[in-house]
Amino acid sequence: MSKRILCKFFAHGACLKGDNCEFSHDWKDPTNNICTYYQRGVCSYGSRCRYEHVKASRPQPSASSSSGVPRPSPTLASNLLACAPVTDVSPVPSSCSKPAWSLDSLHQDSVDEVDTFVPGTAKPEEQPICSFAAAGDCPRGDECPHIHGDICPTCGKRCLHPFRPEEREEHKKVCEKKHNQLEALKRSQEIECCVCLERVLSKATPAERKFGVLTECDHAFCIGCIRNWRSSSPSTGMDVNSTLRACPICRKLSYFVVPSVIWFSAPEEKKEIIDNYRDKLRSIDCKHFNFGDGNCPFGTSCFYKHTVKPGSYAWKYHMPPPRRPRPRPSGSNLSDVDSLVNMMGNILSEGEYGSIGFEDSDDDELTSTDMMMLLMHMDHAYHDGRLEEVVLRHLDAEDGQTVIAKEIRLSDFLEDMHI
Amino acid sequence: MQTSRARLFKEYKEVQREKVADPDIQLVCDDTNIFKWTALIKGPSETPYEGGVFQLAFAVPEPYPLQPPQVRFLTKIFHPNVHFKTGEICLDILKNAWSPAWTLQSVCRAIIALMAHPEPDSPLNCDSGNLLRSGDVRGFNSMARMYTRLAAMPKKG
Repeated sequence: MSKRILCKFFAHGACLKGDNCEFSHDWKDPTNNICTYYQRGVCSYGSRCRYEHVKASRPQPSASSSSGVPRPSPTLASNLLACAPVTDVSPVPSSCSKPAWSLDSLHQDSVDEVDTFVPGTAKPEEQPICSFAAAGDCPRGDECPHIHGDICPTCGKRCLHPFRPEEREEHKKVCEKKHNQLEALKRSQEIECCVCLERVLSKATPAERKFGVLTECDHAFCIGCIRNWRSSSPSTGMDVNSTLRACPICRKLSYFVVPSVIWFSAPEEKKEIIDNYRDKLRSIDCKHFNFGDGNCPFGTSCFYKHTVKPGSYAWKYHMPPPRRPRPRPSGSNLSDVDSLVNMMGNILSEGEYGSIGFEDSDDDELTSTDMMMLLMHMDHAYHDGRLEEVVLRHLDAEDGQTVIAKEIRLSDFLEDMHI
Repeated sequence: MQTSRARLFKEYKEVQREKVADPDIQLVCDDTNIFKWTALIKGPSETPYEGGVFQLAFAVPEPYPLQPPQVRFLTKIFHPNVHFKTGEICLDILKNAWSPAWTLQSVCRAIIALMAHPEPDSPLNCDSGNLLRSGDVRGFNSMARMYTRLAAMPKKG
């Protein structure tokens, strides 16, 4: 396909299409630096031509057609046709190669050569359409020797080739997509952020000109405004879930915000924005997970990529490493629960792999004291609820066995411990 | 700092444009400080506050609109959710239920709605709350009307 051919403009450092260019912007890809005029028989630049003058020995890459349908090179086509006036494809003597702008180009020889390109000599699907008409207006009108394309319903230009159905379809598809994007961008210009009351796409710096899309509702904000609000420290009595994470307008709870340069008008478009964003995140390595050496607080529901590097902690033990206890303000319930989870994580991992022998009866007493401390914390935090997470259960004090159990009631546990 | 200033300026322009649209609210910005506003609101009809004009003072904090403005009544009002002496207002949207989508104008509207629908179960003015909670609507209405006449209506003669 055309993508593998190096862009000529890029090679000269002047491609205006950037990432949207249909040709490759990778220096490793081969160039198509072959002069098509020379191949067809005449190049008016002669030896001064910046393109290579090679005979049409190999099939010409279909650079000019985006349809990707292999067609015979013009030379071969003209050879096949009996009425083709040019049978000799050898380079025209340099005496004939005159620059196009030269007055001598009106000379009889040149005119003869120009005449070799009279339409009708090749099949209609092999002829290019008039580029003037495709760009909007052909000065020659009906007298133009080239085929005038059909009018594209979207862009209104004569750029649909009448005899190449695949190219037509592709142009229509691309044109419609571009048109829709333009329309969406136009609509997005008008949309105001409900926090700063300004138009999102008219903000001062380009970084600010982005929408923050909430997953659960369709209210528009700047990405900066909504992120600021969601990360602002809750003032007294403000509940994080019901206030900060909720939409400022409809108070619907959304768990994450998606940045987007364009506003959507249909649910499918919104879904596409969100899916694209998540796909992008999925290709970025998670900082917390750290290739298996870190503990990501989001676990399996993390948006970022969790790659396990051979030799890492997760690779060796098939579980995340214990979380390092972070310094937290003491006294609040939250920190209790968190430290509890940390402690349990430590005990669990160490217990399972025997780095500290729970089976040792010497340690038993100490362990049960620890456990009681743990339980008191836990009781305080969970109010004797049913725990979903894995919990340590000290079944019997006599043999000092440690059992890992799921979903046990704290009161049963306490009874077993004979407190 | 810059965001709150820009936002208040936007609100100022909006108020200028909407002045005619809402005759019950008159928001005025302090001439020298855009973080200080005053508002005159009309007591809602079919309430004991009907006919009165109440003055509110707004003090906008710097993190606005991430934090709610501080609003208090400058005019004395007999209402279960307004402190009789300081004018402090007990309203969820000015505290834990604040959202940056609220504007000064919409806060005024919320206060008018609060005047029409008092919440006697979380009173700042216990006397007024108790009257309502004990079911003495008539007693509450006459007290409230009396204070409206005394404090919120222009003196006759």
